Amino acid sequence: MLDTVRKIAKGLLGQGTMDGVLGLAVGDGGVSPRLFEDPGDLGSLSLASKWPLAKIAVTVLGQCPDAYRLAVVCRGCDERALIELGKRNRIDTRRLHVIGVACSGEQAERCLCQQPWPSRVDAGVRAQGADLSGNDQVRQYLDSDRGVRLEKWREAFSRCIKCYGCRNACPVCNCSPCRLEDGLWVNRGEIAPDMFSFHLTRAMHVADACVACGACQDACPVGIPLMLLQLPMRAELHRSYQYEAGTESERHSPLLSNYIDEPAGGISIPDWTDSLRKNHGS
Amino acid sequence: MGPEFVKTVCPYCGSGCGLILMVRDGKVVGTYPDRFHPVSRGALCIKGWTAKEFIHHPDRLTAPLLKSGGRFKEISWDEAIGHMNERFDRTIAQYGAQAVGGLCSARCTNEENYLFQKLIRLGFGSNNVDHCARLCHGPTVAAMGRALGSGAMTNSIADFDGTECILAIGSNAAETFPVPMGELYRARERGARLIVVDPRTTEMAKNADSHLPLRPGTDIPLLNGMMSHILKCGLADQEYIDRRTEGFDQLVAYLKGWSPERAAEICGVAPDLIRQTAEIYARSRSAMVLFCMGITQHVCGTSNVFAVCDLALLCGHVGKDHSGICPLRGQCNVQGACDMGGLPAVLPGYQQVADIQKRNRFEAQWGAALPQTPGQTVTAAMAANDRQIRSVYVMGENPVMSDPNRSHTIEFLKNLDFLVVQDIFHTDTTRLADLVLPAACFAEKDGTFTNTERRVQLLRKAVDPPGQALDDYTILCRVARARGLDFTYADPSEVMDEIASLAPLYGGIRYGRLGSEGLQWPCPDYDHPGTPVLHREQFSRGQALFVVPEYSPPKEMPDERYPLVLITGRMFCHYHTGTMTRRSPFLDRETDRPFVEVHPRDASCRGICNGDAIRVTTRRGAIVTAARVTDRVGEGMIFASFHFSEAPADALTNDALDPISNVPEFKACAAEIVREAACPDH
Repeated sequence: MLDTVRKIAKGLLGQGTMDGVLGLAVGDGGVSPRLFEDPGDLGSLSLASKWPLAKIAVTVLGQCPDAYRLAVVCRGCDERALIELGKRNRIDTRRLHVIGVACSGEQAERCLCQQPWPSRVDAGVRAQGADLSGNDQVRQYLDSDRGVRLEKWREAFSRCIKCYGCRNACPVCNCSPCRLEDGLWVNRGEIAPDMFSFHLTRAMHVADACVACGACQDACPVGIPLMLLQLPMRAELHRSYQYEAGTESERHSPLLSNYIDEPAGGISIPDWTDSLRKNHGS
Repeated sequence: MGPEFVKTVCPYCGSGCGLILMVRDGKVVGTYPDRFHPVSRGALCIKGWTAKEFIHHPDRLTAPLLKSGGRFKEISWDEAIGHMNERFDRTIAQYGAQAVGGLCSARCTNEENYLFQKLIRLGFGSNNVDHCARLCHGPTVAAMGRALGSGAMTNSIADFDGTECILAIGSNAAETFPVPMGELYRARERGARLIVVDPRTTEMAKNADSHLPLRPGTDIPLLNGMMSHILKCGLADQEYIDRRTEGFDQLVAYLKGWSPERAAEICGVAPDLIRQTAEIYARSRSAMVLFCMGITQHVCGTSNVFAVCDLALLCGHVGKDHSGICPLRGQCNVQGACDMGGLPAVLPGYQQVADIQKRNRFEAQWGAALPQTPGQTVTAAMAANDRQIRSVYVMGENPVMSDPNRSHTIEFLKNLDFLVVQDIFHTDTTRLADLVLPAACFAEKDGTFTNTERRVQLLRKAVDPPGQALDDYTILCRVARARGLDFTYADPSEVMDEIASLAPLYGGIRYGRLGSEGLQWPCPDYDHPGTPVLHREQFSRGQALFVVPEYSPPKEMPDERYPLVLITGRMFCHYHTGTMTRRSPFLDRETDRPFVEVHPRDASCRGICNGDAIRVTTRRGAIVTAARVTDRVGEGMIFASFHFSEAPADALTNDALDPISNVPEFKACAAEIVREAACPDH
């Protein structure tokens, strides 16, 4: 699998189709992101287990001249994030080329990922998406009595040290200026930040763009299960609008495009658990 | 053409989180966490995420500055080095080598601290080298050094996960060691009980299973009450005590006078809670005791640490997986600065200056005689009336902001014949200097830092320092060579090779071996994999020693004129004297104004509302700041963080010192507050 990716990257750089390939590299300091520009340099390329690169790709593009063409070694979630960003005019997807890498079944389980593959798989084999119904954490945080769930989330958020890691790491988190910083919704200089004004504001802001990459959760030092926070909204968007962020490059989020055209049933968000049981796993 | 990624270590606290810098066109343009770092595992705190913001700040010092006629003028490096050597030589000729002193830096690399103490000792002939550990974990190094033979954290940060009990005394890790706090929360999720001992209801206390809000400066009574109960219930690990310790009988005799009731009278924690806490700790099959400034920064700081060690040894909770004594070292390289001998009485590797054999070995390697008398600690030197120290070389320290009794510190520094300060920004200390040398920050040099769990990690240079600024390694070598010393190294890795040859703890440390995870000392030879847990078979001194902790209450207790206890400390979004974080826009936006925490009842009886301007006064001085009315502090106590130079907490603090380690009593003095004006935001 690594050799396949290396070959593709080498070809893209060697033929001058792409100016750089963003991936991971193994060096004397261990694994780290790397922008490969020299086709002879790909010996250190690595496909170490998940390191979301979409956000870094955006910054790289921003740092490079306008004509720079960037290939990115993408997992499914990376590609979906880049597509979302393209839709929202944050990046010019014409400058991008995806080298698609499929994730293993184990990786999908770790990420609670339903679609552990990019739109085109250049390396790796499509594995089965994770089965959420058996997942303990999902059950505790999303599938029990409302009072119990609220307590669970409150306890989790009480650990927050306001590192802003969730926001910094999220590839689709892009408001400028960021509402969490303005001191209006969230008190400055205090931890733990208020659960509703900090965490739920963030969750709502990315509600229809979340591609379930888990970068937020990976960046959280205190183990708040942030991925689970977004799951019900993703499920609801799927159920009511058959919409999944990052999967269709031409279709805008229903939350942006459906002010007039409500679906027959309307959108209701009271019972996360129903939507979870019925629709996840497809 | 495109950006590069450089792996390095965060320059703030002693967690030593992995940090990846994105570099383009000679500038750091992004920071990312390291997914596979053994400590941080893909996370960073708010300061780590914003660590790039101060690097290219326009305030960076870019040229040597000589004070002339009350102003600074730019001079060349050659002139600067020539000038400082001439001034130091003048002092030595007039007053002797013991009139020269140096402060090395807990924020500089191991290599730089090693070279600094080598320069002061060989180049100036003085053992007066010290640094800010004097203000913080000096008691830890002294007490654990004596009781166990080694003054460092006995276990690793990863060891918290899997322990049954975490007893946190005098630490607010949720704000000061945020990423390792995650490890503690993980431990809790796996069943560990978190017990927090702190006068304040900190973030950590709020999220604990149990909080003991003791009166400030009453840790020894509390611990004694716990220990006497443990003995009484037969919960002491007698087998461990017999096999691995000495001095037990003296402790038993001492504890006879310390019932939980007597303890409760002094510390204010209910006797039953003391008993319960003692039983939980003693009965746990594994337990980590974690401590920080709350117990060290007292006039009985060293004794406080003895008491902590006694408790852990009593229950056999040292020298095993998930059981140990964990001082959290604050600065990115304070552990290293101590390891490198940046201390008046020890050479690199904690080898005593007074030990002739050890000294001879250094002399043989360094090719010159070493001063024989241990030097003075910085706090004792400043407090002394005879003003023996006349010329000082400060590297990467800001004593005007960090040392107690600010007006006294300023007076001391102003009265020096010569003061040279090496730093990356102007600080309250550089402004008093005769000569200022522009230095490089963490992103602008190669070298190593040692984190709180003794992990030696590589920094990798990402960008060049601005203007004519040089990294401290280069500066020190040039100053030394100008004095005729042979400081010739191809690069910092050669300095580490030299360190390894002289300090057995670092014997096996070599750049090529540090890779992605670094190495935890002791690492005595090139095949040794490093040591995650200390004292497994034997303690560093053989048997561990029970030391009877001598209790003294805080030097300055509240009275009619100053009825409140002032506690000083830290907050999550700023770092120490704020020279870096106050210049980071994101962090400054998070908190840009100084504040003091005041209990609602203390506020209301003085007519103070949240946000009002208040004047805080102690016998040393006064500051005007904003009141943050909160029940995080108990009635009768106030809390100030020391990050804000416009309202410096050290204008208030007491320079009363612990007689053994000379740490100042930052955590307790007497204060009063009075309302100055309404909150400006209304």
